[in-house]
Amino acid sequence: MLRDLKAIVSKEVKELVRDPRILLGMIIVPVIMFPIMGAVMHSVFIQVQESIKEVKVGVADFDHGNWSRVLIENLTNLGANIIEISATDEIQAIQQMQASNLTDLIVIPEGFSQNITQGKKARLKTYSIYTGSGMVESARSEAINSLIEAVKRGWSPDPFTVSENSIVKGKPLPVPPSTLFNLAMSQQIVTPIAIAIIIVMAMQLAATSVASEKEEKTLETLLSLPINRFTILMGKLFGSIIVALIGAIAYLIGFIYYMGSIFTLVPTEIGVDLVELGLAPSPVGYVLMGISLFVSLLSALALAVVISAFTEDVRSAQAIVGYIYPVIFIPMFLLMYLDVFSLSLPLQILILAIPYSHPILAAKAAVTGNHLIAIGGIIYVSIFTVAILYIAAKFFATEKILTARIKLKKLRKPKEKVT
Amino acid sequence: MAAVEVDDLVKVFGSIRALEGLSFRVEDGEIYGLIGPNGAGKTTALRIIATLLLPTSGRVEVFGLNVVEKADEVRKIISYLPEEAGAYKNLSGIEYLRFMASFNAESKDEAEAMVRDAVKISGLGERLHDRIKTYSKGMKRRLLVARALMTKPKLAILDEPTSGLDVVHSFYVRSIIKNYVKEFGVTVLLSSHNMLEVEYLCDKVALIHKGKIVAEGRPEELKTEYKAENLEEVFIKVTSYA
Repeated sequence: MLRDLKAIVSKEVKELVRDPRILLGMIIVPVIMFPIMGAVMHSVFIQVQESIKEVKVGVADFDHGNWSRVLIENLTNLGANIIEISATDEIQAIQQMQASNLTDLIVIPEGFSQNITQGKKARLKTYSIYTGSGMVESARSEAINSLIEAVKRGWSPDPFTVSENSIVKGKPLPVPPSTLFNLAMSQQIVTPIAIAIIIVMAMQLAATSVASEKEEKTLETLLSLPINRFTILMGKLFGSIIVALIGAIAYLIGFIYYMGSIFTLVPTEIGVDLVELGLAPSPVGYVLMGISLFVSLLSALALAVVISAFTEDVRSAQAIVGYIYPVIFIPMFLLMYLDVFSLSLPLQILILAIPYSHPILAAKAAVTGNHLIAIGGIIYVSIFTVAILYIAAKFFATEKILTARIKLKKLRKPKEKVT
Repeated sequence: MAAVEVDDLVKVFGSIRALEGLSFRVEDGEIYGLIGPNGAGKTTALRIIATLLLPTSGRVEVFGLNVVEKADEVRKIISYLPEEAGAYKNLSGIEYLRFMASFNAESKDEAEAMVRDAVKISGLGERLHDRIKTYSKGMKRRLLVARALMTKPKLAILDEPTSGLDVVHSFYVRSIIKNYVKEFGVTVLLSSHNMLEVEYLCDKVALIHKGKIVAEGRPEELKTEYKAENLEEVFIKVTSYA
């Protein structure tokens, strides 16, 4: 029995290890993807750490009392770099803070010291500029909150409350930056994942469509018919485009519904226009996002068609297309946590060169209102798609469409089959 | 004018020489068979004639049209049935026939007439309304042969038309080919490694071995010449000399 079991186990292991899909899914993806993701996350956390190394914060002291001075001293002793702002009122203080390129402001209102002296609860206000650039911004405002909390603990029992405010596009908003950050993160995480899933699924569909024509030998029949080969290629692509359009529309409907759900996080009584403040996509943003996703899908489909045309069966096509997935998933992870323009120039170029980064960037731009990024991406991806289509058309016009065969085990050596 | 004229055809794939100066001529209205074992170069030759592959050197003409220079014209007058070809399994047989007819027909009426012919040729009756994925291998092959012949091509190129079929389906497919040629005067160029089938079907045969024709003639002439009882014996004798 043991000998039989050993033989079966040995056969199973050989079969599984030699299956390209297993090789890709269980070995190549974890071995390549996870180290890359680790490196990405490492760079994100380094940036976060750097940003909070020195907490630079403006302080507008309208109290000029003993306790306000003690507060400033305590904050300085805890390592904060305090920039004192002289202003006549809060609005002027906010303006001066922005003019001084500061991102955070602590406002000590008049009567702060008197309230504490009289044993009443005093009030402190903080303002943080919110641009939606990612984790670094949130970490900075959290660092200031931590310093204030540390001071409070030293003055116990709880002498003052802190009212957290955000400044969005120059306008003060009575919402803590953490709420806005959570709002943004829920968009920034769900959007890239959804886009990556749609692209991957569309590529699998297109690859299967071409490879099954080769596997079933229907392509050979099709190529012998009096039809222009470019028409065959376009037919394949338009079929996939319809699927891509359905995918893009389904995505947009789902996304709009999702955004509607998460905006309930922002208190409605604030009475602010979220679109105007850059916290929700505008109608133009939605349109550009849809176009960007569509052209990216088209480009992915064209690439899948070209690549799968080199394979001889569906299994090989799906496995080879799978090698593109890291190119889709790496920008996805990176753009979840970081603003692309905060990266080093070579990394920026790399991310922008990947066509599948652009629908994610367009989704972000739809919220921030920076439509030029989305439009630029659409133009770039369209040019990339035309180039891929040109290569595909050239390839379809030759006999290579029938004779080129890539097997995963022989990636470096395409072979011709003689019958 | 010859239906097919192949002159000194060479095809090289990398380091492999698939065809080594192949030459033969198929007359109009003839059923011509290329016979040889697997890997002899039959499919490569048929694919070149069907405009799917380019010759490395040599000349191939179909009804006077060069298959390289006039590929589009050639495709209009031929019909090619690849070996072990499949069909779109999620379409019904009738949908498949309509789809294929649309590329050869000038009008909708002409396409429908082609489909009607194909229905008759295939003999699949009501099963044509079922999805192809439910067909047996034999039924699928009958559908594909019907597809290849429904356009009444000037030249039908059939690669191993009965390969892998049982006796009943093989007999049916052979009958289709024989009767159809008589009825419409279509020229047929087919390949097979079933020598008995070729002997039954073909007016003329060429024995192909390692990319070259080693013998050619009418089956009866070849049997007499090589003092053999059948073409299998002829092939063994010829290749042992070659």
